[in-house]
Amino acid sequence: MARSIQARLREEFDWPLFLVVTTLATVGVVNLYSATSAQGGVRGELYIQQIRWLALGSAVGVLAAVVDYKYLERYAYGIFVGSIVALVAVFLLGKSVRGTHRWIQIASFQFQPSEFVKITLVLALGRFLHRDARAERRKLRHLVVPAGMVAVPLLLIMAQPDLGTALIVGLVAVSVLALVRLERGSLVWLITTLVGGSYVAYTYVLKDYQQERLKSFLDPEKHKLDSAYQALQSMIAIGSGRITGQGFMQGTQNQRRFIPDPFTDFPLAVWAQEQGLLGCYAVLLLYAFLVLWALNIAGSARDRFGSALAVGMAALFFWHTVFNIGMVMGVLPVVGVTLPLFSYGGSSVLTMLIGVGLLMNISMRRHTFG
Amino acid sequence: MQLAPRAAVGEFRERIRWMGAIALVILGLLAARMFYLQVVRSDAYAHMAEENILRRIFLPSTRGRIFDTRGRVIAENRPSYNVYVVPLYFMRRFDETFPRLSTFLGLSREQRDRLEARLREAADGQRRFQQVLVREDITRETLAILETHRDEIPGVSVIAVPVRTYPFGALAAHAIGFLNEVSADDIREHPDEDYRAGDRIGRSGLERAWESFLRGRRGWVRVDRDHRGVILSSRDEIARFGPDRRQEPVPGRDLVLTLDMELMRAIERAFQQRQFRAGAAAVVDVHSGRVLALYSRPSIDPNLVSTGMSQQTARSIDENIDRPGIDRVIYETYFPGSTVKPFTALAALRAQLVDPTARIRCTGNVEIARRPWHCAHGHVHGLVDLHQAIVQSCNIYFFRLAEIMSLDLIARMASEYGLGQRTGIRINSESAGLVPTRAWYQQHFRQQRVGYRLNSAVGQGNTRITVLQLAMAYAALANGGTLYVPQLVERLQSPDGTVLQSFGATVRHRIDVPPADLVRVTDALRGVVTDRLGTAHEATDISEVELAGKTGTAQVSRVARHGEDPRYAYFMGRDHAWFAAFAPFDRPEIAVVVLVEHGGSGGDEAAPVAASLVRDYFTRIRPGEPIPTVRAAREVQQQQRPIVRRRRTRRGR
Repeated sequence: MARSIQARLREEFDWPLFLVVTTLATVGVVNLYSATSAQGGVRGELYIQQIRWLALGSAVGVLAAVVDYKYLERYAYGIFVGSIVALVAVFLLGKSVRGTHRWIQIASFQFQPSEFVKITLVLALGRFLHRDARAERRKLRHLVVPAGMVAVPLLLIMAQPDLGTALIVGLVAVSVLALVRLERGSLVWLITTLVGGSYVAYTYVLKDYQQERLKSFLDPEKHKLDSAYQALQSMIAIGSGRITGQGFMQGTQNQRRFIPDPFTDFPLAVWAQEQGLLGCYAVLLLYAFLVLWALNIAGSARDRFGSALAVGMAALFFWHTVFNIGMVMGVLPVVGVTLPLFSYGGSSVLTMLIGVGLLMNISMRRHTFG
Repeated sequence: MQLAPRAAVGEFRERIRWMGAIALVILGLLAARMFYLQVVRSDAYAHMAEENILRRIFLPSTRGRIFDTRGRVIAENRPSYNVYVVPLYFMRRFDETFPRLSTFLGLSREQRDRLEARLREAADGQRRFQQVLVREDITRETLAILETHRDEIPGVSVIAVPVRTYPFGALAAHAIGFLNEVSADDIREHPDEDYRAGDRIGRSGLERAWESFLRGRRGWVRVDRDHRGVILSSRDEIARFGPDRRQEPVPGRDLVLTLDMELMRAIERAFQQRQFRAGAAAVVDVHSGRVLALYSRPSIDPNLVSTGMSQQTARSIDENIDRPGIDRVIYETYFPGSTVKPFTALAALRAQLVDPTARIRCTGNVEIARRPWHCAHGHVHGLVDLHQAIVQSCNIYFFRLAEIMSLDLIARMASEYGLGQRTGIRINSESAGLVPTRAWYQQHFRQQRVGYRLNSAVGQGNTRITVLQLAMAYAALANGGTLYVPQLVERLQSPDGTVLQSFGATVRHRIDVPPADLVRVTDALRGVVTDRLGTAHEATDISEVELAGKTGTAQVSRVARHGEDPRYAYFMGRDHAWFAAFAPFDRPEIAVVVLVEHGGSGGDEAAPVAASLVRDYFTRIRPGEPIPTVRAAREVQQQQRPIVRRRRTRRGR
């Protein structure tokens, strides 16, 4: 407490986290530069826009890092409810893009509330776990409150509809809740209901085109022209990169525009063709380090809230990474999940950098008592 | 604020370690997948990536042309602008591109539906990258529209493809044949010949028989393309591409035929003048078996077939009672009638069963084996010897001859002259026909009758031959006994006219007949035309060339169908008229066979056609110095009308 900010910065600043995130963001921008070069200059300025997002995200991230997270814990429910309100607002004032309601426009600034819900939900769950410390194993009824917290935004996002985000939100929430121990009977019940529930969700909740996507993933031969075509072109890009790649800005799949959506969903395909297996492994190692480092921060956090929050951020990076790379490599359905810090997009970049800020926050305060 | 004890985080620690482990395993799986894609399967994906950007465009080869013996073009190629669609690129924005394309092409609703179905099918299968032929031979106007709007219809391309044209139309169409699109079966059956959907393949005639020579080999060029299928390589680049990016097409070989299309025209005119509905003619060189004319009437214009005919046209061809699709020279078989009498006579002479000077009295009918046998049309020939029996075509004489001959004796001579056997021309699934033997009757009728012999002797009963067989047989009569294989192709040439291969005469065999017998028979054949009593004497008014031949009037056995038009039934019941001949008599050059289906009398109907085409041939068509008789005839004419005639002659040459 007595130490100066500078001293604390010097001693407690999480350099590994900072470096891995900076490296990823830099590589992402470089890759975006190549990805946009193919559009005949039309989208050539996109990487500059991404840098602006990164700058803005860094500012917000610094903010998220410097304010002691005990205040976040205190106002977690409020923030959460605020984000839910924004989610509802999407339906009321949001603009419809291709039949989906995902965006809110404030002045010239568009954002997706569902992106931020990924964080606010973790805050809320973190607070719940923080206040609900128990020594014994929990029964299912102890999970009713957090389950409700998850269900509300989840249903709202699915109604937009935005399957990819819903998936991530759900997985992140499950990851955070996986921190607590359940009685064995309750666990069996939980798994049974989840499996049953996903079947019901698939049959009654998913829209036709969403079902198609899943089906096309399961039976790619029959759906060459749509999303499986995208996956195929992506796999061609990756496979043809071989070990060393075709060279920066030399990837034919991107230059000739065979890669669908090379900015947001498939930037790794561009990277893979141009940088090869070595480049891909480098990126994969960075993500692995980021996730493990975040879990490390969770393990050494000063309290349960910090720990849960760090696990939530680790899960956020992890599931985004896994789903995006899995999708790009044709092992998971194309559901539109971004690759953290690699994909173009303001909401995504902001969310990720806020996440990084929170991790920094927790990491820097692991030795202090509130 | 509430202080959370550090121990509280301890509850999470074990879980967090597990999470790290799980995360590592999943990321490890992703790494393994990456290794699989980028190392294990990299060759396959690299190939696909290359296929994406380098599309192979085929460069069509030019099909070889076909010329007649005088260098007249019988079949050649002109450009046809065809529209192709690559389903993969076209289907992306189908709702916009398809209506546009349909409008540009002016498709009817029905055509649109059919096309849509085809494209959707192609887009699902392995062929989604391959061009699908959408429309052939579009007009210049449509071409201009498509070129103007090419950016609005991605995946659509127009390619100039040579289309086959036949300047002589239906003339000799059976022999030349036609092309149409290869079927899936063709592609499967000829895996080494690189047929692709949309290719043309020879379906009949020479186009089919010489397919491998005429076709040539396609070339290709691999050009840069983007994801919409738009070609990025410039024209200059494409021209410069090296051997790995470009292979030049090899044009097909040109065929030079032995056919003389001017002679074909002369035959056509002769048939038209007499308004014959159906018939056939063949003209061959007696000393080589070169085929100068193969005429089958009616015929189909192959230009209709190669450019795709309307359904209405197709139906009218199918329903034509004269069956224009049938090749009457090579495929259809007929009773030869009296045209076989020379061979029967030769058989009797060689076996020394007949004294050629002995005379038989013809009373118009005779009873043999308790059945009455007649001369045709109630003719009574009186006292006839062998010579007169041929000249006047006396059936009674030949019935009496057959009485003392065995069936196999008659059949053997006919067979030696190639009757009832394939000539070996090797186009259009040639028919063998039939010259029945004792063994054949034993097998099919389980008995032997005198009547079989009598019928065979005069070319009725079960004897079936083709027009071409008879022409080759008469050529052998004329040349002293050499049976040739008919030759239709004179040589193969490269497109610049270099001779690649020349073909010569092929002898099937030499017929062993005493020359004296042959002289006796051919002498009688001359009598058929020159003798006052000859069956072809009256109708063949020919002074320029001395002709020798034999008429035939083949009875047609046909039962009228119930409810048939009686006029039609009468026509179909009429005899086929034959005339088989060679000329000139003293130094034979060509053998001619004319068949007029349901023409009636051979002497009255078929012989004049033969005479007129022989006259045309020797006075007008035949190359080189005119033969002496023609020169003599011209001199006579010139003396009669000196001034006018001389001028015309000079120009006429």
